[in-house]
Amino acid sequence: MKTCKEFCDNLSDYLDGEMSSDECRLIEDHLAMCPPCALMYECLKTTVSICEKGVSEDMPEDVKERLKVFLRTHCKSDRLKFREE
Amino acid sequence: MGYTNLFVAVCISVMRKGTVEDQAAIDQVLSGDYDAFEKLVEKYQGRVYRHLRKMVKDGQQAEDLLQETFLSAYKGLESFSGSSSFSTWLFRIATNSALMFLRKKRPESVEYNDEIGGGGNHDMMMHSSEFIRTPLEVLLSREGREKIEEAIEGLPVLYRTTIVLRDVEGFSLKEVADIMDTSVAAVKSRLHRARNSVRGTLSSYYTERDVDAN
Repeated sequence: MKTCKEFCDNLSDYLDGEMSSDECRLIEDHLAMCPPCALMYECLKTTVSICEKGVSEDMPEDVKERLKVFLRTHCKSDRLKFREE
Repeated sequence: MGYTNLFVAVCISVMRKGTVEDQAAIDQVLSGDYDAFEKLVEKYQGRVYRHLRKMVKDGQQAEDLLQETFLSAYKGLESFSGSSSFSTWLFRIATNSALMFLRKKRPESVEYNDEIGGGGNHDMMMHSSEFIRTPLEVLLSREGREKIEEAIEGLPVLYRTTIVLRDVEGFSLKEVADIMDTSVAAVKSRLHRARNSVRGTLSSYYTERDVDAN
């Protein structure tokens, strides 16, 4: 018989779809009868969901511009090499 | 076909389309079309910059590493075999550059035996209900986003790199393992701990916030 900690240790893999169908059923049965573990699962699911949506991809325009200039300057010699082949 | 299978099929189809488009752009670059490279840069620069900022936690260093990453990618494009996707290959270059930088400049920040909590304990769970009761618009408000970023940035570098690659950038476990040059088992273990640590930090924050509000 698995302990709650052992079930909780597998929740991350369960979220990632990394468990077999038998293991999934065991976890789902446990979550249905153990409110603390079900709460843990909901918290973990919320965490994963908001990490995906909550970290900004904003990149300052001046960083973009400097990257473009840097690459145009430093890639010049390799551009000629690619063309010759 | 169930909804989950349909979703997976759509994702695979979109990924394949992206991979085919990237390969066509790479072929154009190798035949001398520099504009095609700039299109690849435009496509990936935001994600790579975000990843590097999370790794080194410094905007200027992230910018330097971003430039180094795309220059290395350009110079090494002929060696890109296509055995992985272009994005996986590009993120591997970025990750290696950042890890090399950190080992050289801040070796104390790259400890492989860094241990973090996050084993899942019931005491912490008792404090978690406020977190999941908090509306999504609050969790993703400006303040909420700052807390998510703080929680991730508080992790040791290998853990925050793992959670960013998997949960923010959406790479598969196998791709994260390829990018970080480690095993899928190591990725799963780090991810489990990182997610639970972030969960614990956010749960505590929303519990305290709820107490302060009452």
